[in-house]
Amino acid sequence: MIAFLQPRSIDEAVAALDHYGEDARPVAGSTALTILLRQGLVQPKALVSLAGLPDMSSVQQENAALRIGALVTHRAIETSPLVREALPALADTFARVANVRVRNAATVGGVLAEADYASDPPTAFLALDAVVEVAGPAGVRSIPIGDFTRGFYETALTSSEIVTHLRVPIPSDGTAGVYEKFVTRSSEDRPCIGVFAAVRLGEDHKSCAELRVAVGAASEVPQRFKDIETLASGNYLDDDVIRTVADGYADRIETLSDLRGSAWYRTEMVRVWVRRAVERARNVAMGIQS
Amino acid sequence: MIERAVDEDGKLTLTLHVNGRSRRVKARAHHTLLQVLRDNLQLFGAREGCGVGMCGSCTVLLDEKPVSSCLLLAPLAEGKDILTIEGLASPGGELHAIQQAYIDHTAFQCSYCTPGFILTTWALLHEKPRATPEEAREYLSGNLCRCGSYVKIMEAVMDARDRLAGG
Repeated sequence: MIAFLQPRSIDEAVAALDHYGEDARPVAGSTALTILLRQGLVQPKALVSLAGLPDMSSVQQENAALRIGALVTHRAIETSPLVREALPALADTFARVANVRVRNAATVGGVLAEADYASDPPTAFLALDAVVEVAGPAGVRSIPIGDFTRGFYETALTSSEIVTHLRVPIPSDGTAGVYEKFVTRSSEDRPCIGVFAAVRLGEDHKSCAELRVAVGAASEVPQRFKDIETLASGNYLDDDVIRTVADGYADRIETLSDLRGSAWYRTEMVRVWVRRAVERARNVAMGIQS
Repeated sequence: MIERAVDEDGKLTLTLHVNGRSRRVKARAHHTLLQVLRDNLQLFGAREGCGVGMCGSCTVLLDEKPVSSCLLLAPLAEGKDILTIEGLASPGGELHAIQQAYIDHTAFQCSYCTPGFILTTWALLHEKPRATPEEAREYLSGNLCRCGSYVKIMEAVMDARDRLAGG
């Protein structure tokens, strides 16, 4: 028998998780957990519904960041006027996840806590320097996204902690972001490779002032290499520079094999899709492509 | 108490609002809405296809939004308005304009996927009454028809759009 708990506050939720320890699972949209339950991959003694927790269901702008509640659905981010205005590439990334049904149910907290290597949003979060706000028995803490995602379905969360919010800094004016998703099966599938690229041009409106590139689905956690990004700084984003960046990512990422592509194939696709993503981000920044 | 009471079988008593009626059902915490609709309520319009949210055969509307009932734990559906294909026709039995359009265009062969397609079409036209064919294709891209009736389905969707707009 599995108990069903419906806490009304973060404190109650944390206390319930703490009581059951590893035997409890928090649940919000249930799109990921239901599959694990049905396959017998998790056998909890208690499900702790987060649906009734207050103040975690909206997107707000706080200073130069968006603060997104963990219960906000993918679809709500995709269609939020505030996100569309401040971080259109983030809205676009969420719009590419699965299908409209899954996006209506799956939450931001869920996609973070699940830490599936082939989810789309975490790649954008990494490129955007997002910070995860977590609540637990010892109080709240903030964890940079790069430290939050630890490995294959593994995060920095303890079994009695929950994600409450995600803070995403809004990039400087003029930053153009894009998410490119390469799928090898159906259009709504998880990606073989996902690339989030952002470009901010210098005052001459030609050279690159800032480049950000994050690659997801290629390895156990999304990857970002700031030393490779800075190779582009001050340079025109011409074919040579972009190829250098793409080769850098392809050479450094230890790709994995799954049914969407072998490790060798993924490496070559990283090379292709980093190039395409940076090209498109550059073109969007220059106003010659949408 | 934040822990829900269970009976001697370990089942919760859930109150679900389905097709305009309040229904009390007994289910375990990990049972899906799809299981409850079919096994407890004998509503067979939502069907299991892939079981992982990719095919759309189990689509129902939750507060007017399409979701995969195979991925929704039944207790999480409490307090929401659930609409299945059985609740779409008028109480007098007159088919909804979308249902009629699917019939008029023979937008199905085996029809296993049809309830999911019709409910997703309803949500599309609710959100975007003037949806373009491209927007419709994108919105419906997560519903699979293994018979391949997509051309007819698109005809029905566009016709339903025009009928609902009074065109």
